[in-house]
Amino acid sequence: MDALDKVTGKIKFFSDMKIEGMLFARVFRSSVAHANIVTLDTAEAERLQGVRAVLTYKDVPGLNAYGAIIPDAPVLGYGKVRFYGEPLALVAADDQETAEKALGLIKAVYEPLPAVHSMDESLKPEAPKLHDRGNIARHALILKGDVDRAFRDAHLTLERTYRTQSQKHMFLEPEAGIAYTDELGNLNILAGGQNPYRDKMQVARSLNISPEKVRVINYPAGGAFGGKDDVTVQIHLALLATKTKRPVKLVWNREESGVGGFHRHPSLITLKTAVSDDGRLLANDSRIYLDTGAYQSFGPTVLDVTIEVINGPYLIPNIRIDANLVYTNNGISSAFRGFGGPQGNFAIESMMDEMAEEMKMDPIDFRLKNLAKSGDIGPFGNSMRNMEGIHEALSRLRNSPLWRLGKELPPKPWIRRGTGVAIAIKGVGFGTIPDYPTAAVELLPQGKIKVLFSNPDYGQGVNTGNAQIVAEALDLPMNEIEVVNADTQYSPDTGSSSASRGTFTSGNALLVACNKMLDRLRMEAALYLESTRDGIEYASGRFWIKGNESKSVSIYDLAKGLRAKGETLKFEGTFEVPRYPEPVKGTLEVPHVVYMYGAMVSSIELNTLTGYLDVKNVDLMADIGNVINPLLATTQCEGGIVQGLGFATSEELVYNQDEKPMNTNYTTYIVPSIADIPRMYVEFIKTYEQYGPYGAKGMAEIPIVPVGASIANALKQASGVRYYQLPLTPGRVLSKLHEQGQG
Amino acid sequence: MKVSQYTVHSPRTLPEALNILKDATVRPIAGGTDVMVQIKDDLVKETELLNLSYIRDLNYIRDDGDFIRVGALATYSDLIRSRLVNEYSPVLVEAARTVGAVQIQNRGTLAGNVGNASPAGDGLPPLFATGAKIKLQSAASEREVDIGDYFLGVRKTVRQPNELITEVSVRKMKPGDYYFFKKIGLRSANAISLASVAAVLVPAEVLTFKEARIAMGAVAPTVIRAKGAEAAILNCQLTDEKMKEVGRLASEEARPITDIRATAEYRKQAIAGAVYEGLYEIVNGFRSPVNGSGA
Repeated sequence: MDALDKVTGKIKFFSDMKIEGMLFARVFRSSVAHANIVTLDTAEAERLQGVRAVLTYKDVPGLNAYGAIIPDAPVLGYGKVRFYGEPLALVAADDQETAEKALGLIKAVYEPLPAVHSMDESLKPEAPKLHDRGNIARHALILKGDVDRAFRDAHLTLERTYRTQSQKHMFLEPEAGIAYTDELGNLNILAGGQNPYRDKMQVARSLNISPEKVRVINYPAGGAFGGKDDVTVQIHLALLATKTKRPVKLVWNREESGVGGFHRHPSLITLKTAVSDDGRLLANDSRIYLDTGAYQSFGPTVLDVTIEVINGPYLIPNIRIDANLVYTNNGISSAFRGFGGPQGNFAIESMMDEMAEEMKMDPIDFRLKNLAKSGDIGPFGNSMRNMEGIHEALSRLRNSPLWRLGKELPPKPWIRRGTGVAIAIKGVGFGTIPDYPTAAVELLPQGKIKVLFSNPDYGQGVNTGNAQIVAEALDLPMNEIEVVNADTQYSPDTGSSSASRGTFTSGNALLVACNKMLDRLRMEAALYLESTRDGIEYASGRFWIKGNESKSVSIYDLAKGLRAKGETLKFEGTFEVPRYPEPVKGTLEVPHVVYMYGAMVSSIELNTLTGYLDVKNVDLMADIGNVINPLLATTQCEGGIVQGLGFATSEELVYNQDEKPMNTNYTTYIVPSIADIPRMYVEFIKTYEQYGPYGAKGMAEIPIVPVGASIANALKQASGVRYYQLPLTPGRVLSKLHEQGQG
Repeated sequence: MKVSQYTVHSPRTLPEALNILKDATVRPIAGGTDVMVQIKDDLVKETELLNLSYIRDLNYIRDDGDFIRVGALATYSDLIRSRLVNEYSPVLVEAARTVGAVQIQNRGTLAGNVGNASPAGDGLPPLFATGAKIKLQSAASEREVDIGDYFLGVRKTVRQPNELITEVSVRKMKPGDYYFFKKIGLRSANAISLASVAAVLVPAEVLTFKEARIAMGAVAPTVIRAKGAEAAILNCQLTDEKMKEVGRLASEEARPITDIRATAEYRKQAIAGAVYEGLYEIVNGFRSPVNGSGA
């Protein structure tokens, strides 16, 4: 819907915006990872000509903390620093250079504390404590059946440990926004974000003002992927705009986004898994550790998703899950596309491959044999629904040319080919957490329909998808639909764009609103056409009397009449997201009612001389319900695969001994370039989700979840060596090849 | 310092440029693919820039007997598109194609790669493998330096502050010469070399060689020749065993460092692999020699 305006540059992102008289802000960040703050001296910076405000924790009038689940991260640090790059002070100045210079004049004196580099260190009893409650932010234990007995009776038991790394979002537009107080005294915050109403709440809470005085606009943003789900620039902008009474702009630079922005939770997962002699899964005992960094942000719920995917979509009678969220001094981990899913999937799908191999079974057959069927009771007591889609997807991958031809011999002896499979499950939305998204449609005088909802469109295309849903519901052409997105002044609270919930939640809420609108108009048409509501038909914007099409009226003419009577023509709809009433004991929101599924085959060429992995092809068969917009869905799947490719092969935020992130730009942090992109084939299995808008589920996360495992499994086939750690960089691949005599 | 704070000289002629160099400490800039990054990272000591972009006389690729004369403003894209370079220095074209991505190739110049003196400069190993000369001009003098004598260390060269690199002379390869260029990076494009190697082999008879020049990038403070590996190639049958030995010898001559991109150990292993790959491709018919008619 906005593609042309984005391509031509007509749309101004917040980083591009200029407001008359605006100031430029910069954030002073800690240059140590763990320390007591002895003094923080801002006097010299305040005296610098052109500096309009320097703020510290003393200038936070309300709660000096933010955090989407539990607000435990300081808005501006005080007392103690827990990661390199923690914000300690804010500067607003007449221009960017002056703001920059002022940062250099702020002096922080620290009393260093030993830093905690990894979860392994953090879990040691003698480790420095990052928070009063200790270094484990959350612990969960989920039990089903009796794993110990199952291990005693099993034909084969494997125990393996898997590790994944910290991945950055690397959106093209870094964290950015602009804020100003309007003539009514309301604080306007225009910032890249994923949940304008939660931003509004967090801003109001820290400024100690009524949320009614805060307006947040999140559209448009240049990418987010979870990295803008929690607060980034919003509260800082609000503090500065309020203090200076001037518009203020804050754009993090790339390196700042690297140290101060969020990233994916590194994981350390041990699985002990057992099968019977006929290849049936008997037990899965998992110990999960996720590194949440210095603060929790979305950590508690990310841990829930890892818990939820750690048994895959398989039928396993005996389960133990021991899950831990661990503090370290590694920045802040938070939401990232897949939300704990890619980490858990890498472990379970690597295990399934190894198990199949040990059992001398085809990896697809092994998975099909253990895959739950519709009506089976899942690991969390939930009834497994619509499993036909993933069964079909997996069966059909067997016919994929990649699967059949993958073993052909390459011409150069140092190149080895391999093909790997993985399947994925990921919930749509917030599981058992009550979720009542509200959206609205409005009939405009100029003969258009305005669609209002708050899940931000940060590039994924929820605006277009929702416009299509409304056009379909009202039987109108797309050019009569307008969208107002993610503006708390106009858009009702539809919640976040996260958890693949955008289309499912706002689409459903819009359908409720459309029905209300049509119902009201139908009665007005009955009055106008001198009939009854049951005696009237509707199509393409017109009502007519059944059997007499010549007696008709358009919705826009009806609207004129209603408007003249003073009636507003805005209709809100609220949808109740289907859920289980209670979470499974030990979890916050597990399970979901609606799951997406995916089956993936990747083919690779490994260079055994250099350890370089060339991913040639990726096929994805996905069950995302009925597809609202095939082009957007396909391209989003391709984007997810490429982001997964980076996770699998090259992306890793690396810290030095002082816990400073070392690779914070595109030169040193290696995201795939266009030349690395494999040939991708995406197909959607025809399914229909009864709870979805027009049968849709969600889709943003499913493509990224199985990529790591499918590539690692392909690498095993190519090299004979199994890798238990991502990313599969040339150095890591080659050193293990040499170790195992395969180089 | 911000870009906006630099004094920028933009002469139209070479004499004007050399005159500016005479009196001031300036940093020459052509495509800017290195200098701009260094300005951002505060690594440029000079406060003035000498913008060469308007000196049309420096933008050429010329045939001159045994040499291809490459003017200071010729970009990688120019090299890739040049029939002359494709014909007589295909190893340089092969390397040019691996530089950054197309955007970088469109801006970055071969002379700039020499001037920047990074051991990871992808244009440099082919210059060592073919034997190039660097022309340095000042207002008062002019000299040509062999590529092997030009670099003193990381970002250190024999160029005096009043001198400008005005031309790179690339020695033509001969019909029948074999060659390869291999780059080890962390991705397929827009990657800085972890290690690179360029080789030119001059045949004696069918697949035996009387002359070999192998130059390695990013494994020492400057590009270096792998002399031991070169000697091992001469006048013998390149069996699989032999090719592996040549790779091993090259890797023994490499003195790489460990940094955020890769360990020294990895770079050594990878360079051995890259040399073996290139030789294997020559011996097994994956590579054609220079044919002297627009290869």
